[in-house]
Amino acid sequence: MKSRIKVIHWIVFLWMLILILQFDLICGYLSLTFDFILLIVDNFSSAFTVLNFGIIDASLSSIIFLLLIPILLIFRKKISSLNEQLTFTYAFLAILIFLFLFAPVITNEDPEFSKNLSVTKLLPPLHSVNQLTLKSKTEQNLTTVEKFKIKSDRIIKPSFNNRIIFADSVFVKEKVFYWQKNVQHEIDKKLLVTEGGISVINSKVFIIGTDEFGRDLFARLIYGTRISITIGLGAVALSFFIGMILGFLAGYRGGILDILLNRFTEMFLAFPVIYLIVLILALFGSSIFSVIIVLGISGWMSLFKIVKTEVISIKQKDYFKTANLVGLSKYQLLKKEILPIVITPVMINLIFLFSNVILAEAALSYLGLGGGNSYPSWGSMISSGQEYISKAWWLIAFPGLALILTLFTFNASGKKFGRKLNPIIK
Amino acid sequence: MNNFLNSQIIKTISLRFLSSLLTLFLLISFLFFLIRISPGNPTDKFVSAKLGTELSESVAKKFSINEPITDQYFSFLSNLTTGEFGISYNYHLPVLSVIWEYFSFTLIFAGISFILQIGFSLWLALRFMHSQNKWLKKITSNASLFIYSIPAFVLGVSLIYIFSVHLDLFPITGLKSLDYDELSFFSKMFDQLKHLILPLITLSAAGVALFFKYITESLDEVKTKTFIVNLRASGVNEKIILRKHVLPNAIKPLISVAGIELGIILGGTLITEVIFSLPGMGRLAIDSILARDYPLVIGCVFTAGAVMVLANFFADLIKLKIDKRLIKGILN
Repeated sequence: MKSRIKVIHWIVFLWMLILILQFDLICGYLSLTFDFILLIVDNFSSAFTVLNFGIIDASLSSIIFLLLIPILLIFRKKISSLNEQLTFTYAFLAILIFLFLFAPVITNEDPEFSKNLSVTKLLPPLHSVNQLTLKSKTEQNLTTVEKFKIKSDRIIKPSFNNRIIFADSVFVKEKVFYWQKNVQHEIDKKLLVTEGGISVINSKVFIIGTDEFGRDLFARLIYGTRISITIGLGAVALSFFIGMILGFLAGYRGGILDILLNRFTEMFLAFPVIYLIVLILALFGSSIFSVIIVLGISGWMSLFKIVKTEVISIKQKDYFKTANLVGLSKYQLLKKEILPIVITPVMINLIFLFSNVILAEAALSYLGLGGGNSYPSWGSMISSGQEYISKAWWLIAFPGLALILTLFTFNASGKKFGRKLNPIIK
Repeated sequence: MNNFLNSQIIKTISLRFLSSLLTLFLLISFLFFLIRISPGNPTDKFVSAKLGTELSESVAKKFSINEPITDQYFSFLSNLTTGEFGISYNYHLPVLSVIWEYFSFTLIFAGISFILQIGFSLWLALRFMHSQNKWLKKITSNASLFIYSIPAFVLGVSLIYIFSVHLDLFPITGLKSLDYDELSFFSKMFDQLKHLILPLITLSAAGVALFFKYITESLDEVKTKTFIVNLRASGVNEKIILRKHVLPNAIKPLISVAGIELGIILGGTLITEVIFSLPGMGRLAIDSILARDYPLVIGCVFTAGAVMVLANFFADLIKLKIDKRLIKGILN
């Protein structure tokens, strides 16, 4: 029954799949990067005025994407988890990492792009509409900077684009007629982008449908993955630092600090934390940063307990006393004597914490407290899905499935990791 | 010796009770200052800025918001000792009476769910206990992890989609049908039950998976202990071994888990009540937070915290009653 498929094979498969499907896009990103370097050489001061997060994101992720497989193949002997047998956990973990790192390579739709609501509202999966693209005003004698801007807008689709029209059906005669929900419109043929004398009318497919604002759900799902993982990593890192430092201080010093911190921990542990998180977010406003900070602050208690008990037991050991007498500073004691020992239980705890944070973020967005509509989030997608529950099942199904599989993956990998590092835990 | 143990137990319990009180005190102070340092003014909700400052001043005076924060804190604490949480800005009723109206529902709801979770998971665990099938074990353990991973709101919304929208078996929201008052007693009960089934499934699924995992693990551990093997070798009836020796020992570690699980349920009711718009404390808390109804917020959060602290205190007492050796672990 043992399959011989290894993790590395799966990663290479995913990489090839994306490379084949999005080859044009990757080439576009690379040429954009090249143009930008030329622009810097040509006109240093104004080059940075056109630079935005989208361009950096696109060029970085395409470069990392191309370098990924050579690097992995060189180091495949050294990273042991690459040579393990492929399980569902590893497979989905790889997909999540791909979505997190290479979101712009996988889709170049903007998650906030919304146009012609009457046509694109709540489209079911695999539904296609006609897309008319208008010509940009061609002015002569464009500067290099303006040319670059136009090119980057063509490749990285902006969240606002006046030159795209979605229509239910199109009819071309001496003029172009198009229908949006049985309302007829007409425009001049000359306004459309032409290719070899024939005006181009694409059909645009929404792979998993659109939401109530006509936004592409696929793009929102992928950028939502990114947001979820970013929030998870940020909050877990914050919890790690707080738990580590407080646990070390309480265990090492003891005394009044220990008692106070213990009561404080019990207060947080004894309490349905979601009430507190909701309260803080409602009071101080919610953005992506406040969500990270609040979730980070509310998650350090179990880490604190683990670190504290370990420090108390390490404190009695001879090697720690020696290190203390030799005169190591507190930072060095923490780094050299304690961290290597506590890292195993702490890592297991961090993985579970990560899945808790992702769950909490989604729950907050569902309640309408997680930054609202300022970023795409699985929770808010499900919340809007509940509003349109009788019309649009895809609004619930896809984000819900993504959320369940992510949580399952992290819970299972935490369990697996724990078993690997500590065979007694089953 | 016995006397010594008794006095030690009393000392430990009273210390444990004091630490619970300290925890509650910390909680309430934390809440008070958190709310007072946050931006935004409660008078904004009642008095539009267009109406001039005088009116908002008088409202602020009525709620004594302009006094120094330390004075507010001390008067707040002294009121608290008499059980006075103030008057809700929104409902114009004493906070405690508003909360009681909503909290009784949450208490019943969470209680039924808690009993369901323990009963159902125990039944499942006992069913699967004797199977030696390796595949079945793998499947049940993965399935329980999977069910545990389903967030309450995803489960709730999917259940609504399947059972209410498509099959039209259960109502979508609320606790009572429109014609509730005209029904007979039994139809009333049936109506409420019909409204509660989906919320109960939503709230209990993750807990059943969690308890199932804990019970199976601890059953497996106890089953192979030498005293059980010894009993079996002496020819004691399997059923008696199970009922008198395996189960009581396997359930012991569950009690502390149950204390934590109660917190999870209380957090879970918040989400579930929002999904199904049930008249519980979670929804009251969310509504009052969004309406900046400070006394009601403090009341809700305090009630939730108090229930949790008390539950953990009683869990410790029961633990002590069952096994006196645990006395040292309780004060930590």
